[in-house]
Amino acid sequence: MLIEFTLNYQPIAIEAPPDVTLLHLLRDHLNLTGAKEGCSVGECGACSVIMDGRLVNSCLVLAPQAHGSEIITIEGIHAPDGGPNDLQENFITYGAVQCGICIPGMVVAGEALLMRTLTPTRTEIRTALAGNLCRCTGYQQIVDAIEATAVQRRQAS
Amino acid sequence: MARFDYVRAHSIAEALQLLGEAGLISRPLAGGTDVMVFVRNEKPPFDRLVDISRVPEMKIIERRGDEVFIGAAVTFTEAEQNALLREVAGCLAEACRSVGGPAVRNAGTLGGNVANAAACADSLPALACLDAVAHVRSLTGERSFLLNELIQGANRTAIRPGELLTHFTFPVPPAGVRSAFLKLGRRNAQAISRLSMAAAGRLDAAGRVDYARLAPGAAMPRPQRFTEVEALLLGQAPTDELLAAAGAKTAEVMIGVTGRRWSTEYKEIAIQAMAEQTLRRVLCQ
Ligand code: FES
Ligand code: FES
Repeated sequence: MLIEFTLNYQPIAIEAPPDVTLLHLLRDHLNLTGAKEGCSVGECGACSVIMDGRLVNSCLVLAPQAHGSEIITIEGIHAPDGGPNDLQENFITYGAVQCGICIPGMVVAGEALLMRTLTPTRTEIRTALAGNLCRCTGYQQIVDAIEATAVQRRQAS
Repeated sequence: MARFDYVRAHSIAEALQLLGEAGLISRPLAGGTDVMVFVRNEKPPFDRLVDISRVPEMKIIERRGDEVFIGAAVTFTEAEQNALLREVAGCLAEACRSVGGPAVRNAGTLGGNVANAAACADSLPALACLDAVAHVRSLTGERSFLLNELIQGANRTAIRPGELLTHFTFPVPPAGVRSAFLKLGRRNAQAISRLSMAAAGRLDAAGRVDYARLAPGAAMPRPQRFTEVEALLLGQAPTDELLAAAGAKTAEVMIGVTGRRWSTEYKEIAIQAMAEQTLRRVLCQ
C-alpha cells in the first residue's frame, strides 16, 4: 500500500506491505539504518524515532500508521552542515558513547525531551531515557550530555 | 504476501462498519504496544487491523455531568498529563505515569491496556478503584461493564468480535477525596508490575475515614475493590494500628481469592505493606 508521510522534514511516498513495522520500513525500504533493531518488542529503545512530536518505538508502530505523520529519525538530527549538532557534540565531549548501538536512540530520546523543555531536572532526563537501554556507559555521561545541551540551548535562546 | 491488511478508521461509526464487515476477521489496533509484540510471535488470528488510534471521539477526556468520560484511544501520556484526571482521579494519572517508558506511554492506550487485560496492566486497579464502567459498541448496540465483569481472567474479556471498546466513564469522586497508585516492580523504569495498589480516601471533620476505596493490581485474576478492607476503615481514625490492620486484611482477602502458592510468602508481606503505604498517602498526608 502507498504510505505518505513527512520524513526528516521532507514529504515522502513509498509503496510497502501493510504488515511491516515502521522500523523495517525505515531500515529495509528507505535504507535509513540509524534506528537499530535491538529487541523488537518495545523494551530497549534502540529503534526510537519522533512521531508527531513524541518519542515512539518504531518497532511497535505499524508502517501504515505513519501515513500522514511527521517522523524524525536520527538521520534528521544534525548540524546545518550535516555534521554533529550540539547534543551529538556533547555526547562526544562527555564520553557518552562506547559501543554505540544505543546511541541513535539515546540522541533521539534526548532531542524529544529538549523539544518539550530546556529546563529538565536530572530526574526528568532519567525519566525521559527510561525506555532506552545502554549496556556500556552506565547512563551517567548520557545524562550529563543532555543536561549540558539544555543549559547551552537555554543560554543561546 | 502480507500476513494481514491495514485500514484506518476516522470515526467510531466507520470503525464499527470495518470491524463488523462480513467475510474477514478484523481487530482494532491502537498504540500497537501489545498487538505488535503479539503478531511478531504468533500467527495473527485476524485478516485485518482497523487502526482506531486517531478517532477523535475516542481521544476525549472530559467531565460530563457528574461523570468523567475517557475515550479508549487516550494514551497513557495524555491521561497522565490531563488536568481533570490529575485533579479527580490521581490514582489513574499515577498509574498511567508508571506504565513502561515514555515511548510506550506515548503510544499505548487505556483501551488497549484494558482490552488486552494482562493481569499486570497498571490501569486496571486504578479504574477498578474509581468504579469505572467500560462501554463496548458494535453495529447492533452498546454494552456496558464494570471492570471485573469485562475482564474474565488474564488476557480474556467479554468483548466479542465486531465490538469496540469505545470509552470509560466513572463517577466524579466526592469533593475532598484523594487517590493514589503504588507499584512494585523489579526496577524503577519500564517495570512490569509484580504488585500494584490503587486507593482513594477522605477524612470527615472529626478526622475519621468517611470514604475508602482499595483495589490491588497484578495479584488478582480480575481487577476488584477489596470492600472488606474498605469496611474496616470506615468510621475510624487513620492510626498506625488501623492502617496495619487494613494491610493485614488486604493480604488475607488476596489469599482468600488466589489461595496459597509459591509466591504467596513474598506477596503476602508486600501487598500488606503496599496497602498500608497507599492508604497512608491518601488518608494521612
Ligand atoms: S527494537 Fe524497538 S524497542 Fe527494542
Ligand atoms: S554505548 Fe553500548 S549500549 Fe550504549
